[in-house]
Amino acid sequence: MSETTKDTAAPAPAGAFAGPSLTGRLRRPAPYLWLAGSVLLLLFPFYLDRFWLQAGLFAMAAAIGAIGLNLLTGSTGQLSMGHAFFLAVGAYGYCVLGGGSSTENGHALTGLGLPTWLAAVLAVLLAGAAGGLFSPIAGRLSGAYLGIATLALIFIGQHVLFNAGSLTGGFNGRPVPPLSLFGFTFDDAEVVVAAVPFQSSEKLWYLGLAALLASGLFARGVLRGRPGRALNAIRDHRIAAGVMGVPVARYRAGVFVLSSMYAGLAGVLLALVFQRTVPEYFGMILSLEYLAMIVIGGLGSVAGAVIGAAFVSLLPQVLTHYSDSLPLVSAPGTGGIAPGEASRYLYGAAVVAVVLFLPGGIARLKNPGEKKK
Amino acid sequence: MTTAPAPLTVRDVTVRFAGLTALDAVSFTVEPGSVHAVIGPNGAGKSTTFNVLSGVYRATSGSVHLGDTELTGLAPHRIAGLGVARTFQNLALPPHATVAESLMLGRHRLTRAGFVASGLRLPSATREARRHLERVREIAAFIGLDKELGFPAAALPYGKQKLVELGRALCMEPEVLLLDEPIAGMTADERRRTAAVVAGVRDSLGISIVMVEHDMGVVMRLADAVTVLDFGRRIAGGTPAEVQNDPAVVQAYLGAQE
Amino acid sequence: MTTFIELLLGGLSIGSVYALIALGFVVIFKATEVVNFAHASLLLAGGYVTAVLHDDIGFWPALGVGIAGAAVVGSAVEFLVMRRYRGSDQSVLAIVTIGVDILLTTELVRRMGTDVMSLGDPWGDDVVTVGGVTLAETRIAAFLVAGLLITVFLLAFRFTSWGVSMRAAAENPQTAALMGIRLGRVSLSAWAVAGALAAVAALFLTVFPTPGLERATSLAALKAFPAAILGGLDSTTGALVGGLVVGVTESLATGYQGDLSFLGRGIGDLAPYLVMVAVLLIRPAGLFGTKELSRV
Repeated sequence: MSETTKDTAAPAPAGAFAGPSLTGRLRRPAPYLWLAGSVLLLLFPFYLDRFWLQAGLFAMAAAIGAIGLNLLTGSTGQLSMGHAFFLAVGAYGYCVLGGGSSTENGHALTGLGLPTWLAAVLAVLLAGAAGGLFSPIAGRLSGAYLGIATLALIFIGQHVLFNAGSLTGGFNGRPVPPLSLFGFTFDDAEVVVAAVPFQSSEKLWYLGLAALLASGLFARGVLRGRPGRALNAIRDHRIAAGVMGVPVARYRAGVFVLSSMYAGLAGVLLALVFQRTVPEYFGMILSLEYLAMIVIGGLGSVAGAVIGAAFVSLLPQVLTHYSDSLPLVSAPGTGGIAPGEASRYLYGAAVVAVVLFLPGGIARLKNPGEKKK
Repeated sequence: MTTAPAPLTVRDVTVRFAGLTALDAVSFTVEPGSVHAVIGPNGAGKSTTFNVLSGVYRATSGSVHLGDTELTGLAPHRIAGLGVARTFQNLALPPHATVAESLMLGRHRLTRAGFVASGLRLPSATREARRHLERVREIAAFIGLDKELGFPAAALPYGKQKLVELGRALCMEPEVLLLDEPIAGMTADERRRTAAVVAGVRDSLGISIVMVEHDMGVVMRLADAVTVLDFGRRIAGGTPAEVQNDPAVVQAYLGAQE
Repeated sequence: MTTFIELLLGGLSIGSVYALIALGFVVIFKATEVVNFAHASLLLAGGYVTAVLHDDIGFWPALGVGIAGAAVVGSAVEFLVMRRYRGSDQSVLAIVTIGVDILLTTELVRRMGTDVMSLGDPWGDDVVTVGGVTLAETRIAAFLVAGLLITVFLLAFRFTSWGVSMRAAAENPQTAALMGIRLGRVSLSAWAVAGALAAVAALFLTVFPTPGLERATSLAALKAFPAAILGGLDSTTGALVGGLVVGVTESLATGYQGDLSFLGRGIGDLAPYLVMVAVLLIRPAGLFGTKELSRV
């Protein structure tokens, strides 16, 4: 088949699915930006201090969670306010599976003491299993009914986190065992790389990048393939989807489980970065933040989820760091608006602004009208 | 290898909801490989019939059989799995997808790649996608959409969109095709093309077609058999010529109507 | 036995307040098919205005201003935000209300700080004892007021032209518009009414025996969501029944907490959600909600 494709001319019939050809791609600026960005990301631990590395790691964990929620809410149209619950399952699951039994402040904490890499994997699977348990609801409900039913998960989660003291440490939370992989431990013990001391943040950075990359690629694969078409059909025309052979309830339950596993993975990463789990963190507000992330970034888009996650999670960090030089914003405790509040104003307003003025979110800004995955 | 096509038998189907009887003991048989039109004034129950056939509505009583297999009470995706495809009056095309992607959705029940295979981009999934994309191209060529495969379906003119919808149903490789007003809203040119496609589908693919249609000209030309509904009841049936002259039909359309 | 009756009556009265909040939520849904996650912040707004003003202008005027204020905030949200959305995705609209909720709540919570504010109600901590059963006056007032308002609304929905136009607009906006129903007005009035109802509910959520209006009040308001869901999002009867079920469940679970201590502290707050999940497993559209009739 002759390829007389020009990048911006009529879509190539041969490439009904594929984008422009390879030579076409190499002529645009986008791939070079990607390359430069990747190099920067790989070099950050050598130049940034702990504060920014931790902020970046939060953003990566948030991005992984947001990609998962996007699969559920953005691509399949299933509103969920329960995402924070599965983050908690991942975080606490990792602690219980990987931590040893110990006593802290007179409270006994149980732990299975499994090898931490195994604990991490099992924690993600546990989050998925929890999602599976909820599937009689997740499969059959949609819209506000599902949204508020998932709210129940948050409250169940909070109840368990505060009460099941020996598992969760109650309101004190639990310390998080550092991850060990192939004998390499991602803890604060200093390792010098190219004359730069590497502590936990630096080591976790690369792990985080790898996890984010893998999560993103997997999600893209799902969305671009057969399941993605089915999920979008469920979102756009539920009845037509069924009539076309898509088992709607099964896919809804399936994507719910998948989304829960993403949240579980994000939870594990967050636990490793925080080095401590705290029950209040996993409340309703966290779920709402994730919804804000995927709307701001663009529903139905993996890239959008990452952009939105970066925006929402980095905002409070940026505001805190520069609170002195920004008008109105001040350090917590003094008068004026605290950085946490200011960032909430901003992303609340961003959600409203994006929906009204930028339908499709930030990710669609680049190519208005073109379908972005 | 094609199995012997089976007749679609509708027996005494009644649909009642919220005190309203939408269908009242409707019976008809669609012979394999024929075009069967379902006509009637507005509100006669034509869409309801389609919804029962595709499993969207549950019949209060009565049965629908494809050959020996009972379809009544099955979930829509199972009925689709048994070979019943349908188009929608109001179009159910994904708003952002290309024509090719819309058509590929029709291949869902014939493909198997799941979350894991697609996410990991396993060779089995990519091979399967390529194979079925080829088939989609063939079907698109058959109905005359091969040049538009890469276009966003929603950007096409209305008549072409209906054709995409028809093509998607064809991609399911059905035994029975339910067409809900396939030529409504089309220009004369588009009408002719679609009618030709429908005839072609019957003739070369041997698929049974059930068609809800208002355009009598098309019905008379294409249909092998006609069932007339009014107020949820079957008031006449037979060949187009027989039905055209049936007094009950004439009265239903022109007679005592509010 | 008296404990049980007290708990039951207390549950019914707080339940009627939840029903009031759920009713506002359902009114918006019935009129516009939008799920309003900003409802708790409307409640907080109404309560805040009343709390701030009652010292200066007296309780009843302050309450009036609070109700009007919440109605104005609700209308403003509808006019400035909801109306501007050009798409048709219900998830997105719901998330917009979440954005509005975040904005409103952050602002109100910042103003309230850690203060616990009183609304200056006339019932104070007076109680009434009948036949060995003690009930707070505020609870009786809550039950009566909520019952009255809910009845008025149920009748209005069914018999007034406002109610009919609201139901028509919800069912089929295009046809309703063609029949002369001003969709914008229906929408605006739904949000205003919801705000007003929320402000009344705010009053009863912050009087004795609660300490007063504080940050946690919005959490209490959240309980209206499971109430509306388990009753059925598009049913006003459902809002009523759902509210009462939630109230009674919460009251009984909290009251018998001592016996249920193996389930953990705070089971009273969790119980309504568990009941909701149980109902949804049996009836996915809620007790009185209409199951989606496919319109294909």
